[in-house]
Amino acid sequence: MIYPVYLLVFGVVLTGVLGLAAGWVDRKVTARVHYRVGPPLLQPWYDLMKLAGKETLIPAGASVGTFLGAPLFGLAAVTVVATVLWVNALFPAQGFLGDWVVVIYLLLIPPVAIIVGGSASHNPLASQGVGREMQVLLAYELPFLAVAVVPVIKAGGSIRLHEILAVQAETGAFARSPSGVIALIVAVVCIQAKLALVPFDVSEAETELAGGTLIEYSGPALGLFRLTKHMLFVTLPLLVIVLFLGGITLTGPGIALAVLKYVLLLAVITVIRNTNPRLRTDQTVRLFWGPVTLLAAAAVILALAGY
Amino acid sequence: MTRDQVLQELTGRFSEAILALWDVSPKRVYVDIDPAALVGVSTLLFRELGARFCTASGVDTRSAVEILYHYILEPINLMVSVRVSLDRKAPLVDSLTGLFAAADFIEREIHELLGVNFRGHETPRRLLLPEQWPDDVQPLRRDYAEWDPNAVRDRGVR
Amino acid sequence: MSFRLNALLRSPWLFHLSTGSCNNCDIEVLDCLTPRFDVERFGMVLTGSIKHADVLLVTGSCNRQSAERLRRLYEQAPKPCVVVAIGECSLSRGMFVESYNCPVPIDHVVPVDVYIPGCPPKPEAVIAGVVKLMAKVREATKKGRGKAPEEVATA
Repeated sequence: MIYPVYLLVFGVVLTGVLGLAAGWVDRKVTARVHYRVGPPLLQPWYDLMKLAGKETLIPAGASVGTFLGAPLFGLAAVTVVATVLWVNALFPAQGFLGDWVVVIYLLLIPPVAIIVGGSASHNPLASQGVGREMQVLLAYELPFLAVAVVPVIKAGGSIRLHEILAVQAETGAFARSPSGVIALIVAVVCIQAKLALVPFDVSEAETELAGGTLIEYSGPALGLFRLTKHMLFVTLPLLVIVLFLGGITLTGPGIALAVLKYVLLLAVITVIRNTNPRLRTDQTVRLFWGPVTLLAAAAVILALAGY
Repeated sequence: MTRDQVLQELTGRFSEAILALWDVSPKRVYVDIDPAALVGVSTLLFRELGARFCTASGVDTRSAVEILYHYILEPINLMVSVRVSLDRKAPLVDSLTGLFAAADFIEREIHELLGVNFRGHETPRRLLLPEQWPDDVQPLRRDYAEWDPNAVRDRGVR
Repeated sequence: MSFRLNALLRSPWLFHLSTGSCNNCDIEVLDCLTPRFDVERFGMVLTGSIKHADVLLVTGSCNRQSAERLRRLYEQAPKPCVVVAIGECSLSRGMFVESYNCPVPIDHVVPVDVYIPGCPPKPEAVIAGVVKLMAKVREATKKGRGKAPEEVATA
């Protein structure tokens, strides 16, 4: 069984390294937009190493096992999702039936890990953050699930990522069709919220909630949460590429195209992040359950109708 | 109401209570009154003339403890400061909380910092001083002495 | 140099606390964090929670009520943590040395590592102070391998 190798190489190492680089790109571009210099390349790595060397303080009254286990929970989920996606993207035949379901399901876990960790913190500000995080999660999961069904419909009802990629290899990326374009736009908005980036980062609003859900986390536990977020920077765009943009191939000229797809998505995310103010919780919920869900429904209907 | 009318009203009604009137500038008037007439003068200024109560300030001069109540008449741009001089040994004056609620906090502050007792103030609790501050020490009095044995009063420079 | 300390100096996260200042020093600290002086190029980020902080920036002459809170916050900061006292009031209480409400200077409440004088100090002075701290800690750890970072830093 070579899955443990895939887990280690692709899930942990590759995603981790790319994730830290993507996090740096985000910070550097934000700095440039603010007309300043920004952090050096290895800054996310230094942050992680520094956090690894600090002590972990557990608040009195917190439930210790949950408090320390929550970040591991989230990291484990992201690692598995990343492994499945990389394996499907690079070695399509090694996927398994139902891996689409597994990926969509496991991507719920990182926000839930933050919610669980925040609730275990025994802190009223963390509870406020948890409440907001829950509302935002409910808001964006609805359209996200809807548009994640679009590639399944267009691939003839198959829930195997390998077949979704195969259909795209034959008929062109799903983003070329009307339903695919709409679904892509909705998916990009949803992953902006999944990554807890402005304009949807109300649950991590440091200036408002003194750190929000992660207020009581310190040291390695905090480092694990940050690593999870950096790994999501790679995993979520990769999911969008696999579902709508035809996947990636690392052979021959395909490399340039793969890099271009990823960089373009990262650029879109960063630009949205830098040009928008933060939305309040009720505005976020109204946005996602209103226009975004309508668009997602339109995409599903168009996909069912064959467009 | 013009400035002169205001001053006439004041001096007319409380001619026995006013000890001195300092008409220092077009915008400022200081009126020294007998403490017993405080509520009457304040009612005149606040209720009838429509002045706004800004704040009260207190000071321990060597001869007495003085409290100044500052009222401002915005339409005519005049600030009237009403001064009462109280006995240093047992300063006691009527509370203005019956007239307006804004007097509550400032009287608590004057009480804890200068030791003035306000007759009729319902909750004379501590406002600004920390919990471990001793009760009978008033920091803004002239005879305040260092009571804290752990205080360090040099700059640490040798 | 010790790996932990090296990483700490490359990514110092700041937590700002005013223990009763006139806010001028707080404004200057805020200036430091604006794009003009850009401390993010040193990896410095302002955090909202003391548990995420590596550097505690203290301003203000510590009055009796703030002293308790300052002590509690310092204890909640995960070690290693560096304390920076900014402005005259936090060095020695400045003109408030005889004040009834400021009994002790800040370094009797928490151990201070860097003092940045000024009333208020310019952002350039704050940055210079932090850079001097980093140089001093690097220098000290070269001489004192095996000691805890805080011991060496305050030596």
